[in-house]
Amino acid sequence: MNSICDMLGIKYPIFQGGMAWVANHAIAAAVSEAGGLGIIAAGNAPADWLREEIRACKKITNKPFGVNVMLLSPYADEVAKVVAEEGVKVVTTGAGNPGKYMDLWKEKGMKVIPVVPSVAIAKRMEKGGADAVIAEGGESGGHIGELTTMVLVPQVVDAVSIPVIAAGGIADGRGFAAAMMLGAEAVQIGTRFLVAEECKIHEAYKERVLKATDIDTVVTGRSTGHPVRGLRNQLTRSYLQMEKDGADLNKLEQLGAGALYKAVVEGNVINGAVMAGQIAGLITKRQTAQEIVDELMLDLKEVMEARVRQINEELYK
Amino acid sequence: MVFEKLQAIVADKLGIEESEVKLESTFRDDLGADSLDLFEIVMALEEEFGVSISNEDVEQIQTAGDAVNYITERQ
Repeated sequence: MNSICDMLGIKYPIFQGGMAWVANHAIAAAVSEAGGLGIIAAGNAPADWLREEIRACKKITNKPFGVNVMLLSPYADEVAKVVAEEGVKVVTTGAGNPGKYMDLWKEKGMKVIPVVPSVAIAKRMEKGGADAVIAEGGESGGHIGELTTMVLVPQVVDAVSIPVIAAGGIADGRGFAAAMMLGAEAVQIGTRFLVAEECKIHEAYKERVLKATDIDTVVTGRSTGHPVRGLRNQLTRSYLQMEKDGADLNKLEQLGAGALYKAVVEGNVINGAVMAGQIAGLITKRQTAQEIVDELMLDLKEVMEARVRQINEELYK
Repeated sequence: MVFEKLQAIVADKLGIEESEVKLESTFRDDLGADSLDLFEIVMALEEEFGVSISNEDVEQIQTAGDAVNYITERQ
């Protein structure tokens, strides 16, 4: 049996990315019901909000689901306690080191899976007791690291003995198959689930993702040390111009503050942050979470078999 | 002795001259290390000196001198 499925008690090795403001109980429950691992993103939200979301998720599904804890959140301490109290089975973490919550979570038998951007950090997380790591390449949407999925995943796989989940740039059976070939045991997919029927973001946001082409994302904030990928619009244009002009951190932060909310909730895709991964260009249809998961599993098998056959016939005859 | 070894490790990881790594050099501002580089350096120091540097402590280590003191105290 696949090590990640076995560890987490899920049917398919597909995680839904913990996208702040986006990933609430509705999409998480739908992905878990479909056989993957749905993930509620705590983002910068207060602990009470998260508690309600976890309870709402449990009302829809009794399958395992996870919570993504954003460690830079002002509410991180309370959020860490809530996930333990509410009996969440899996925690993924981003933007830092979950070390100080490790004991609390492990005592409850929870599985802790940090997102890592480099080999050294992956090794450090393993040493700190992580059950698996998500190696996330810079193709992803939102806050990103520098390395691509293609180079990061195999190197992390070689460096640690815990399972590795690949993330960044994966949206169909081909990407899924490629990630498995690089040694990943599972994939995490964000952008494709943005347009899932159960994903309750503003329609205008979904439309932007569906219309996006291969070159439509840009990275802002490289100068601040906190790069963010999203679809280009007036906001990214102003931001990049200000960075070029050497604007100070405060001004840049002002421009970025509340921008994701503006896009996700208010549907302002001109001046809001329409975060999405580079793979947005590949995503062209609205589907339910079940359809997405089923299609990924079907295509994974088809792609693998067809390519292996072709390679054998063409190159090893 | 600790300092010389640290100079070599930091210079090697960041691709700079050993002489640029001074006791008062800050990793981030003076030597241009980002957070990923810092973890690389910390892992290498742990291996070289047989010490364990906790995550909370990593944030406290700002300069090469801080690192030298940290290691010396714990060796």
